[in-house]
Amino acid sequence: MLSRRSLLGSTAALTLTLTPQAKAQTAQRGGTMVLIVEPEPANLAAYMSVAGNIPPITTQIYEGLVGYNWDLKPIPHLAKSWDIAPDGRTITFHLQDNVSFHNGAKFTSADVEYSIMHVLKKLHPRAPIVFKQLTAIETPDPLTAIFHLDNPAPYMMMALSGYDAPMLCKALFENTDPASNPTANKPVGTGPFKFGTWDRGQYVRLDRNPSYWQPGLPYLDRLIARFIPDASTRSAALETGEVHYAAYSAVNYADVARLRANPILDTTSKGYELFAGLSELELNSHRPPFDKKAVRQAIAYAVDRQFIVDNIQYGFGKPATGPICSSFAASGIYTADVRRFDVPDRIAIANKLLDDAGLPRGENGMRFATTIEVNPFGQQWQRQAEYLKQAFAAVGIDLSLRNEDVGAWLRRVYTDYDYAISEPFVSNASDPVIGVQRQYTTDQIRKGVVFVNNSFYSNPEIDALFAAGAVELDPPKRAEIYQKIQKILVEDSPLIWLTEIQYVTIFNKKLHDATTGPLGTYSAFDRAWIEH
Amino acid sequence: MRRLRHAVRRLLLAVPVLIGVIILNFGLLHLAPGDAASVMAGEGGAATPEYTDMLRHKFGLDQSLPIQFWHYITTTLQFDLGYSFRNDESVLSLILERLGPTLLLMGTAFLLAAGIGTLLGLLAGARRNSVGDGVISALALLASATPTFWLGLMLIIVFSIHLGWLPTSGYETIGAFNEGAAYVFDVGRHLLLPAVSLACFYVALYVRVMRAAVIEQTRQDYVITARAKGQTERGILFGHVFRNAALPIVTMAGVQAGNLIGGSVIVEAVFGWPGIGTLAFSALQGRDLNLLLGIFLVSAVVVMIVNLLVDLVYSVLDPRIES
Repeated sequence: MLSRRSLLGSTAALTLTLTPQAKAQTAQRGGTMVLIVEPEPANLAAYMSVAGNIPPITTQIYEGLVGYNWDLKPIPHLAKSWDIAPDGRTITFHLQDNVSFHNGAKFTSADVEYSIMHVLKKLHPRAPIVFKQLTAIETPDPLTAIFHLDNPAPYMMMALSGYDAPMLCKALFENTDPASNPTANKPVGTGPFKFGTWDRGQYVRLDRNPSYWQPGLPYLDRLIARFIPDASTRSAALETGEVHYAAYSAVNYADVARLRANPILDTTSKGYELFAGLSELELNSHRPPFDKKAVRQAIAYAVDRQFIVDNIQYGFGKPATGPICSSFAASGIYTADVRRFDVPDRIAIANKLLDDAGLPRGENGMRFATTIEVNPFGQQWQRQAEYLKQAFAAVGIDLSLRNEDVGAWLRRVYTDYDYAISEPFVSNASDPVIGVQRQYTTDQIRKGVVFVNNSFYSNPEIDALFAAGAVELDPPKRAEIYQKIQKILVEDSPLIWLTEIQYVTIFNKKLHDATTGPLGTYSAFDRAWIEH
Repeated sequence: MRRLRHAVRRLLLAVPVLIGVIILNFGLLHLAPGDAASVMAGEGGAATPEYTDMLRHKFGLDQSLPIQFWHYITTTLQFDLGYSFRNDESVLSLILERLGPTLLLMGTAFLLAAGIGTLLGLLAGARRNSVGDGVISALALLASATPTFWLGLMLIIVFSIHLGWLPTSGYETIGAFNEGAAYVFDVGRHLLLPAVSLACFYVALYVRVMRAAVIEQTRQDYVITARAKGQTERGILFGHVFRNAALPIVTMAGVQAGNLIGGSVIVEAVFGWPGIGTLAFSALQGRDLNLLLGIFLVSAVVVMIVNLLVDLVYSVLDPRIES
């Protein structure tokens, strides 16, 4: 998947963080990199939207206090160091000197305080979770920002990159309504690239920031994010070399094999470690028979996850074992030691569970009929639903498919609760508090909020464990809590976890060092360079 | 003078039609389930109810439907198309940005289609049942049966990937900063494939309409009269038959005016052309009702203007129609 050279390049870029000049022997300055962003973002207000098509552009412009390395640990960025108090309730960030915004203003602790307390905390969709415990930011001097927390929040350090918590220029936001700030379409940050123009329907152009605080960087003169609505045309544009880079599986899976065979192109699946995509089936437990644990487990047994990976995802993924992705194995949080549904006699077990649950097969061989709300975000979900129809039929469940567009689907599944089974995919994000908890705790049963607990699962033990995990500072103890959560949840199967989605990035071989960390395309192309 | 009065009367009649269009659009769009706030929150992956409520309040979606409608009507009648919260830009400027590329693509495709289609239809109709007629009719049938997206992709594979003559997609070479003649040439290179894909379907339509009209006209008495006068077949065809056969072509052109502004979503999507069609599609997906209403209204206005022009052209082509 990953070419040896790009792995070496990425490692080199990391180890040489402090001396980018050493890399310049091989890296060539100049050139324009063209990347695909799909679909075109509605705006570039990264501080109030986490739509997936915004950060590939805005993380070039906005930076965060920290970055992340391949071990998924925070590394210095705009903050050159930090001290965490033993009780976890005070974090002192020491900022880089001589950093300025693209408008010339100096970046200081006042910008940190304003960005987080007055913009992100008010507007960012994830702020009520990430910054829940944060009560104040003290700024004793321009290069020191002290975060005061009510309770320890170990996950907060995992959400301070330019993707999660962009640092904004206070002068541009002060005394304005941050929800309708002109920077929504013309972002101004401290990053390696400056906003150039946005020709709607076509492209966003970013220009090199000549006074970037990391000397010698970036290598590229220009970045162009192009919007091409048709997936086949995106493939063609990669093949002709018009486009250098396409992340988040922007082409049809069916095209990947052909593109990989193309001598000018290469692929990688690195750079998605902090996204951790998981595909699932949500079951409405207010709709019998999904109130019965045995029925939910039977469905979990009925699905051949490897089949989905091999045939629907063209090998890009792996079977999921539970609510947390295996990428969390690095921090010890993930465990595969749970009830396993991938056993050889799984169909027989499923049939027995359904028989015992009082759901005998009728005359047509079916036990009951139900409907799946097909995920509207692309063709592969339709294929998956078609496979599920067959898999369910094997255990006597007659599944119908319903297709609606995004707006109608979200409303039906998360507001009207007028559904039996839905097939979303979610991001585990960088920490279970941010990306896992929301689907299982009782307080996350919130009508009208999308991708939260809509299965009505409510278990006081799970609630208590998630609450404990959120404030536990000791990594092994924390890992233990989440391992226990996984065991209980898989046993109860409020949801059916299908596959861990593996995305693929396709890039031109002339482009080097475009993937340098676990945030991948959600981090800056400051070290990327093009042979010319 | 009479023609002018006719035009003014038609213009006045257009006002109630437009108001009807506004009311109908508003009603229809509010029947669609889901709203802009829930779609935007959904894109976020994890949003709180406070966030969604904040969006609804900002978009004015927390007000009752009659109040929203009253607000929409009053601003529209002041020629204010409103604000697209999703794009954080005024609806008018979003539409105007796309109007140029849309008109360029549709205009080129229209001229190509009408020119070639009318000519081929005229030839086929004049030599009915000849080999030439057979070939033209067969090609027209094939062209009208070819899916536009497939033709577009095939053109890309042949001319962009294999031959490398033309770019796959887009409106211009970004970052090339072309100016003057180089810019025009660059846009032309990008325009060629989408215009041909789009024209191909319409060529077929024009051929079929023109051929039928020519065949009908050649059976008319005036053709026999002209022939009896000793006029050449060529003179009859271009001097008499063409003008009369052109009427249905003009009618069809008028009907297609709607497409002119709405564009072809498919061709725009395949070639990444920044037209109004894809703008409308993404607005629909995002439940950006202000933007959608604006696009519908502008489309309605253009269709009405073109139909007015068609009426005027009719009376020029055939003076009897005016009365």
